[in-house]
Amino acid sequence: MKDAIAMFYQYSRVTMKSWFQYRVDALLRSLAVFLREATGIISIILVFTKFDVSGINNWNINELVFLYSFLFSTYGVLIIFFTGLLDFGKTVQDGTFDRFLLRPRGVLFQIIASDADWFAAIGHGTLGIVLFSYATSKIEVIWNLGNILYLASAFVGAILIQGAMFLFFASLSFYFVKASNVHGVLFWNLRNIAGYPLSIFPKILQYMLMYVAPFAFVNYFPAQFLLRNDDIVNYPDIYLYLTPILGIVMYFCAYCFWRVAMKRYKSTGN
Amino acid sequence: MEDVLIKVNHISKSFRIAKQKQGIINAVKQMIKPNYILKKAVDDINFTIKEGEMVGFLGPNGSGKSTTVKMLSGILHPDQGSIEVGDFIPYRDRKKYVSQIGVVFGQKSQLAWDLPVLESFDLLKHIYRIEEKKYQDNLERFVTLLDMKDFLLQPVRQLSLGQRMRADIAASLLHSPKIVFFDEPTIGVDVVGKEKIREFIVELNKTDRITMLFTTHDMQDIEKTCDKAIIIDHGTMIYDGTLASIKERFGNTKQIEVTMDQHQEIVTIENVSIENVSQQGDFKYRFSYEKNKISLDWLMKEILSTYSVKDFSIIEPGIESIIRKIYEGQVMI
Repeated sequence: MKDAIAMFYQYSRVTMKSWFQYRVDALLRSLAVFLREATGIISIILVFTKFDVSGINNWNINELVFLYSFLFSTYGVLIIFFTGLLDFGKTVQDGTFDRFLLRPRGVLFQIIASDADWFAAIGHGTLGIVLFSYATSKIEVIWNLGNILYLASAFVGAILIQGAMFLFFASLSFYFVKASNVHGVLFWNLRNIAGYPLSIFPKILQYMLMYVAPFAFVNYFPAQFLLRNDDIVNYPDIYLYLTPILGIVMYFCAYCFWRVAMKRYKSTGN
Repeated sequence: MEDVLIKVNHISKSFRIAKQKQGIINAVKQMIKPNYILKKAVDDINFTIKEGEMVGFLGPNGSGKSTTVKMLSGILHPDQGSIEVGDFIPYRDRKKYVSQIGVVFGQKSQLAWDLPVLESFDLLKHIYRIEEKKYQDNLERFVTLLDMKDFLLQPVRQLSLGQRMRADIAASLLHSPKIVFFDEPTIGVDVVGKEKIREFIVELNKTDRITMLFTTHDMQDIEKTCDKAIIIDHGTMIYDGTLASIKERFGNTKQIEVTMDQHQEIVTIENVSIENVSQQGDFKYRFSYEKNKISLDWLMKEILSTYSVKDFSIIEPGIESIIRKIYEGQVMI
């Protein structure tokens, strides 16, 4: 473990240095990511204040911001550990993956460690923290030990859920030449709508957000655990507690699939 | 008797290739029900390499060289047959095995594009867990031998191809591997650069007794570095032996190049093929003959008595021309 952290540090040092070859670009990157993601939120806030919308399905604007903050804060950590899996099809095709196989370290570890995107992480993470602090100052959340522990474990679970999706889509690259489209449709498109309360969507989308790309467990159910807005009656109670377990189970399954897919690569090539 | 280090036992490897006809209807069909053909990339290849040997691995594009190197380095499994390298089975004991080998892909650098060469070396030191002392010794030695002092602190993106290749070779050797696979290590490098790389490789083989396998298109690479060659074509092995014996067995054809002082009528000679290689203003002909059918002094007399000759030279067949003939199927093995 200590060894892995030391190696992660070495990789990150090299990545940072690469970025700082283009100094202005590196510094602007965090800011650019922050602003790009923030505009989405700002436009929602504008719609609420200008058109005097009192709420969506009884969710007021502060609660919506709270919902959003889960997406950004978890993504901020996710992007440190899983950027290497984002454009993984390319990594396989251009032979970089073969190079990973030739080094005496875990393959997945190398992919993760060699591509940690700290600058984007700062952008996403800061936005997440800003939104979270703002929202919790406006809404009433009881900060007892139980809630804090729940929130911490749900935070880890939410990262694992999304990480599992990254890992799953990356594994598909061993089977299909261009698997990034699947990633685009199932991850990004669904993530875009996951900022809104689950209950406003048609049934089919609700099912997709719960059972296909389970973003509902990334932000909706953890937020509902603390808020208990009325629309929660539509869903089983147990869903409020599932996030940490689901994260572990999904990641474990994705990892198994990854092992199988990698074995296939070694026996079939690409 | 030297020890056998690499044992390749009748390995075969096939790839599925999507077979697609032109046209949008066929493209849709392909998506619904993919139609594959099985292409045999490597077909029943069988050879051994001894410790400290330097072996050239030759073959035209798409002959299965790279696939074989990938199997030897553990990236791919063979479909059939087995590979043993020392105590290892490459595709099974990956982590332990790869710390003993070095692989240079001429086409694909392993250095960080934006960073000074030394930074990539330093990262490799950590990845391979190389002891500081060993790392410094190796580094110092490679910097001298490969003449890298001038560009060690330059970003890789600013290097010439020859410099980059030298840095890449050094990178693959920092952990003192026992075996090194070179996949086209001189591709695109100029003559001087190639020479430097070859000298280095020979030197390393001599002093450290590193076992090496070398794939290349450049026959000079092989001629100047290797003592043994394996030739494959269409996935099958067509030759495994010393370079000298290739020359002996297939270097039967010799050539005399004759420059005449004016245009002259060419008379055919039995068992000799004559080719006009004249360039502007001169009259040059190349006489090819089989040395076991015709003697040189007879042919020279014949030529000198027929033509008025300004100059002539005798051309020894190089490995290159022999190999070319083997590929073209003119020489059967």
